[in-house]
Amino acid sequence: MPFDQKRINGPEVSVPYSVYTDVNKSKSSKPKKSLHKRVDGREHKDLRKIFVKTGVISQAKGSAYIEVGITKVVCSVFDPREIPNKNEYSLQGELFCEFKYAPFACAKRRIHQQDAEEKEFSLVMQRSLEPAVCRQEFPNFQVDVYALVLDNGGSSLAAAIMCASLALADASVPMFGLVTAVSAGFYKDTMFLDLTVEEEVLCNSAPAKPNPPNNHGLIMQAALPQHDQISEFFLVGSINIDCIKQAIETLTVANKNICPVVQQCLVKTVLRALKRKEQEKN
Amino acid sequence: MANTLLSLAEKTFIVHGVDDNYRTDGRNRSEYRPMEVETKVLPHTSGSARLRLANTDILVGVKAEVDTPYPDNPNEGKLEFFVDCSANATPAFEGKGGDNLGTEISNTLTLAYQSSHVLDLTTLCILPQQKCWKLYVDVLILQCDGNLFDAVALAVKAALYSAQIPKVTTATLDGGKADIQLSDDPFDCVKLDVGSFPVLVTLCKNFTFIQIGENCVVDPTSEEEECSAASIVVAVMPNGRITSVVKTGYGSLQPSTLVKTLELAKDIGIKLNAGIMNALKEEDELGSQREIFGFLK
Amino acid sequence: MSGQDLVSDQGLRVDGRRANELRQIRVRMGVFGQSDGSAYLEQGNTKVLAAVYGPHQPRGGGRGGNRSGTGIINCQYSMAVFSFSAGERKKRPRGDRKTQETSLQLRRAIEAIVQVELYPRSQIDVFVEVLQSDGSDYCAAVNAATLALIDAGIPIKDYSVGCTATIASMGASEEVDSKDETGSGTGIVDANHMEECTGATTLTVVALPGAPGSNYESDTDNSGLVVVAQGTGARLHLSRLEGLRQRALQGCRDTRVILDQAVRFHLTTHDPHFI
Repeated sequence: MPFDQKRINGPEVSVPYSVYTDVNKSKSSKPKKSLHKRVDGREHKDLRKIFVKTGVISQAKGSAYIEVGITKVVCSVFDPREIPNKNEYSLQGELFCEFKYAPFACAKRRIHQQDAEEKEFSLVMQRSLEPAVCRQEFPNFQVDVYALVLDNGGSSLAAAIMCASLALADASVPMFGLVTAVSAGFYKDTMFLDLTVEEEVLCNSAPAKPNPPNNHGLIMQAALPQHDQISEFFLVGSINIDCIKQAIETLTVANKNICPVVQQCLVKTVLRALKRKEQEKN
Repeated sequence: MANTLLSLAEKTFIVHGVDDNYRTDGRNRSEYRPMEVETKVLPHTSGSARLRLANTDILVGVKAEVDTPYPDNPNEGKLEFFVDCSANATPAFEGKGGDNLGTEISNTLTLAYQSSHVLDLTTLCILPQQKCWKLYVDVLILQCDGNLFDAVALAVKAALYSAQIPKVTTATLDGGKADIQLSDDPFDCVKLDVGSFPVLVTLCKNFTFIQIGENCVVDPTSEEEECSAASIVVAVMPNGRITSVVKTGYGSLQPSTLVKTLELAKDIGIKLNAGIMNALKEEDELGSQREIFGFLK
Repeated sequence: MSGQDLVSDQGLRVDGRRANELRQIRVRMGVFGQSDGSAYLEQGNTKVLAAVYGPHQPRGGGRGGNRSGTGIINCQYSMAVFSFSAGERKKRPRGDRKTQETSLQLRRAIEAIVQVELYPRSQIDVFVEVLQSDGSDYCAAVNAATLALIDAGIPIKDYSVGCTATIASMGASEEVDSKDETGSGTGIVDANHMEECTGATTLTVVALPGAPGSNYESDTDNSGLVVVAQGTGARLHLSRLEGLRQRALQGCRDTRVILDQAVRFHLTTHDPHFI
């Protein structure tokens, strides 16, 4: 755990009270019931409602805000700048991504510095966005993308990736296409799409015996639906290959279905910008 | 790793070779380079292994320590990975140069071992809420010539196979404080069951400027890694289940390619697991009096 | 363990050695193919790997930096996280004060033997990794680095050999033992970790001992050019320093003989050019 030397940290030995309460126990038994019907009333393959908006941060070159169910992520993109600490010339530009949970975003308070999980998610985000960006347009420069999760209601990485791709488009960074991302989870033989936090916790825990096919795991797939390409595939858990194949198909379809939502948002952004230009002219 | 400079002509040559299923060192797309593994090379650790995959050289040490479990998982032990890229491998790893690569590999290992199907952490518990075993798996990369993930995962599996954790004879709660007695006999140990530990299989997809299609190579050398736009690292358990998939690199793939790649990874992973277990069992049969060579041979 | 227990009444130490005996040294040169030179050295249970890269263009400092006309030696001493024989594992392999200081001392030891005037505007990297630490790690590191330099084909003035001499700190009431046997100094040579930890004082010496039979050897008490000397542990009375130094130097000479044998063996049996 990185130690934040510049801030006053709470005592290291503090334990969140939720460990001791009974409320926790009743919560853990609920998701098991969701094997047949999910807690929020969705079907297993239903995605949550998405709200996207661009241009939310005035100081950034491009920015976007996304709400997927309860999960809220804001992302900002800045102008290309010289790559710090680098001497050699590189023919392609670089993307520097930072993924961070706000300290108040999760049930357990996070520290202000990035910890190992967030650093890993930053790398995953970078790899998902790189195939979409025309990196040869800004050689020897780097574009900064900062994603901050304000409320973690599950699938925050997927939401952050979509938000970041929108923010990049809003910042007029040349791109090949939009990136959409969906997460899926397996528990026993049920597959859920677009997980909530409780479902994530459930899919991370293993059902008792692995030998009858008791899968459990989380999958996050980021894709360029306009080109039918997968830009990032991230799997954790213990799943057998047939379930993975099934998941890939379902996720690809889901990615394609989300694409119009994001596209519409961009169309609105362009129309708004045109309207503003007209008003300035008059 | 980053210091293999390839010209455009060399890259084309490698890519065409892959296309024809004939790589620059004569292998076909799904062959591994020769491997050597030796365990117990570091007698002061609980378990250790040294693995050589052609020029890639990995040394792993496992240390077991008694620690307090996390408050929200009171019945579980801990497993921690640490990967250090030694400057011996390339001068670029001096100081903090190798830290990025090291964290990437240790993250991948953590993901691969996260499921409790792989390692049930409750077996590492001594006294719930008070004491548990913490296993530190420390990887030292001494030389890299491509395909670090696979080599590291195999070496880690071999080291964990050879790890011997002292047996706890008594563990009591003495007035609120835990009192643990370990067995005095240094040979009275518990070994871990590595039957479900995964191995990582790296499949490199040579995409670049020439539309090759769906050819991917297993066990890339560092030159082949330079030419590839994307590679998939899959953690496969001996029973064929996949515990983690990570895509590295800046390229993208088609869904059908991804599926084919995963299937290939699963087949190779099963064979690789069987291979390493055979080798380790053979080494066991040589008995405890075998001469340990370490780096001397 | 009090000072007296380092050497028992029969003159034997804990592991059966006499006071002036070195541990078994095993050497393998040319361990790695990718580095220009490499060597693996085992001194008892202390295991050290050294790799040498160079001479090559200085990294990062190439522009406007080094115009001094001599080469730069860049050393890094790093201990593997699992290297401690006794006790807990190390949290970080390098970057802490102790390893940084040891890197600096290693650099001094190497600078003494490499002719840097022959490599202007170039850099030679020496990286040492300690795999298992059981006393005299720094000395083993210096020895391994010397061998790696030889394996890399970099011409050196002499072997840079390190050796430790440890003496038990005696109480104030005890007299200095004025009769050393045959002037070869006092204290025990090449202590392992347990012996170093007993509260004794350790003198670490890196010397260029000179080949046996050269004019250095004839001087009984001034043989070998000492390049680095370090003391650790408890206080040491000045009158005992000379005895300790002689012990350490004799240890260096003995080690040099072994290292030289190893190098000749490597060149004649492994290297096809010499057959």
